Amino acid sequence: MDLIGATAVARGWRLWEPIARHRALAVMLFIAVLPWVTPYQALATNILIYGLFAAGFNLLYGYLGLLSFGHAALFGGGAYACGIAIVRFGLPWYAGLALGTLGGMAISLLIGALATRTRGIYFAMITLAFAQSLYYLAYQAQGWTGGENGLRGVNVRRVELFFLPLDFTDPVARYWLMAALVGLALLALSRILNSPLGAVIEAVRENEARARACGYDVAATRLMTFVLSGGFAGLAGALQALELSTVSIETLDYATSGLVVMMTLLGGAGTFFGPFVGAAVFALIQDVFSLWTVHWQLLAGAIFMLFVLFLPRGIWGYLLEWSEQRQATQSS
Amino acid sequence: MPERRSQRSIGGLTRRQVLGAALGAAALGAVGFRPRTAGAAQPPIRIGFCVPLTGPYGSEAQDQVRCAQLAVREFNASGGLNGRKAELLVRDSKLSPDEAATRTLELIENEHVDFVAGSLSASVQLAVNNITKQHRILYNSISQSDAINEPKDFSRYTFHEALNPTMTTDAVGRYAFPRFGKRVVFLLPDYAYGHEMTRGFKRVGKEFGIEVLSEIRHPLGTTDFSVFFPRIRALKPDVLVCCNFGRDQQITLKQATDFGLKRAMKIVYPILLYTARLAVGPRAYQGVVGGTSYYWGLEKTVPAAKQFNDRYRAAYGGRVPSDYGAFGYAGVRTILASVRQAGSVETDAVIRRMEALHYDFYKGPEYYRACDHQAVQSVLIVESKPAPADNQFDVFKILEVYGPNRVHLRSCRELGYS
Repeated sequence: MDLIGATAVARGWRLWEPIARHRALAVMLFIAVLPWVTPYQALATNILIYGLFAAGFNLLYGYLGLLSFGHAALFGGGAYACGIAIVRFGLPWYAGLALGTLGGMAISLLIGALATRTRGIYFAMITLAFAQSLYYLAYQAQGWTGGENGLRGVNVRRVELFFLPLDFTDPVARYWLMAALVGLALLALSRILNSPLGAVIEAVRENEARARACGYDVAATRLMTFVLSGGFAGLAGALQALELSTVSIETLDYATSGLVVMMTLLGGAGTFFGPFVGAAVFALIQDVFSLWTVHWQLLAGAIFMLFVLFLPRGIWGYLLEWSEQRQATQSS
Repeated sequence: MPERRSQRSIGGLTRRQVLGAALGAAALGAVGFRPRTAGAAQPPIRIGFCVPLTGPYGSEAQDQVRCAQLAVREFNASGGLNGRKAELLVRDSKLSPDEAATRTLELIENEHVDFVAGSLSASVQLAVNNITKQHRILYNSISQSDAINEPKDFSRYTFHEALNPTMTTDAVGRYAFPRFGKRVVFLLPDYAYGHEMTRGFKRVGKEFGIEVLSEIRHPLGTTDFSVFFPRIRALKPDVLVCCNFGRDQQITLKQATDFGLKRAMKIVYPILLYTARLAVGPRAYQGVVGGTSYYWGLEKTVPAAKQFNDRYRAAYGGRVPSDYGAFGYAGVRTILASVRQAGSVETDAVIRRMEALHYDFYKGPEYYRACDHQAVQSVLIVESKPAPADNQFDVFKILEVYGPNRVHLRSCRELGYS
């Protein structure tokens, strides 16, 4: 091992290390530059919302190892909880957000109480079945949800933030408010993953029997992770309700569940930053290609297949692996 | 060093600070004045047009774009607004309200469009309308919906160029019930479109004393309708009113024909889509009666239809415009005509002109009703027929035209407007 190479590696590692250590801050930095790299703000806000949704999904899939195909229920549930609070009860926007988050958690508690007893494909099927039930429930409950026409009128014009009035129809103000909220949620997520609970979550993923033998309550960990994941998904849904000022029945559709799986896999499951990368790449692909051609789905599908075939760990997962490998080869 | 710094700031502003502030103010002033000089360059009049180019209604949406572009080209060719041209910004809603809402935000916030038109599917137009009314942008919707006329969704920025289920079913029912019989069975998809259409038929049916034998609901996207047919046949209705759309409609008619249902009863549809009829062929649609907003064959009696068809034929290789496509033409042309009358793109002025507009752009006289900005227009009753060998587009026979004075809408009071 030559000395110069070692210092170069050390220097490289030093650059990398702060990002790894302050991952929530790193994602916030990404969020801060996002509006300048996307074609328009509404797309940046969408990436923000879906990034948070995917990060919540990733907590369950990437860190705990449970593949849910019913996350639309938590996202859409949060969106409807927020929308109904504002439209039907005239509550302020922050109450809508809080109720959206709680709504996501409540639904995930209900689904999770049954679903987390199962594993693998059974877990995926049960979550999907529950999500479909909720879809048809919302479809039929027209008086509350607007049914097929969607819930309109989630209109927030002005936001009083600590006596600082913000014009919510101004895209820049809206983006920064949402970015701040998503940033706070990510800090919370990072804190959860760094806590002893976070270690137990990963222990359960790696070896369930061993985690149980070590005295950890595996069933409770699974349920708690599912509920926390539901909280993030619910908050993301509530943010979408505010952004689009409507809640459509499509938010509860199984295609939304599929979308978040695709975004997470594209970015890199089990990495903190991956879901955001996935959400950004997916949204940009969809946006740019659909302006070129009506056959954009063909291109998006082909790109997804290429990633699954050649980068199975996702974009960010691959970058992490590559940097680790480089470090390993250079230090040996 | 610290002393020096404090010494400098004691006397208030330093020379550097004063100079810097002056320069800054000058720069700000320059920025502030820039738009005024740039205004002389006459930016185009921008109309956002968000329709589902991909998905099950893709062929209808693409025709809407062709027709809307025709309206824009005509406006520009005839001199625009004192030389100022119009431009159409087309976006794909992907038939998703969320995507349409995001795209509408983009069109308003980043492209700074002056007006918005378009959308196909009730939920999508309602989502777009909710955003345009918040941003106080004029929106002309070109898709069927009853909800958009109601006070909860309507705003003075909302215009509805398309038919709505109430007026469509009123005309179709008025034609069908006295002629084909009063014993009726409804077959409807279990969602808003099916419910609104059925509600409309029952409303007009009351006037003719129809007897509803049964109301059979099927899930959206049903692939086997033959399970319903023995039951329908056993009920011995005079008329089977089917309220499904798109692919459901095509499968229903194919299977009903094979089952021999048409020999026992008359099949009536609120909307017979020209594009669907062309795609499926004559056999399944043979003898089916339904409503439509426009059929190109209207050109035999209506001069405006002839003009519109000819322009379309010239622009698009001899083909003819579809029913939903024509909405795209009228939806954009009414906005541009009002812009020209108002002499500006200022939203309030254009709204006032549009409210007063009486126009005959493609199908005979129309106007926007004052209370809900619903386009009062004719409804056509057509029957499907096999196309003659010399004209593959000649697929419908016009049985009756209910002109604007014979069309029954829900009254303003009934809708809840004072």
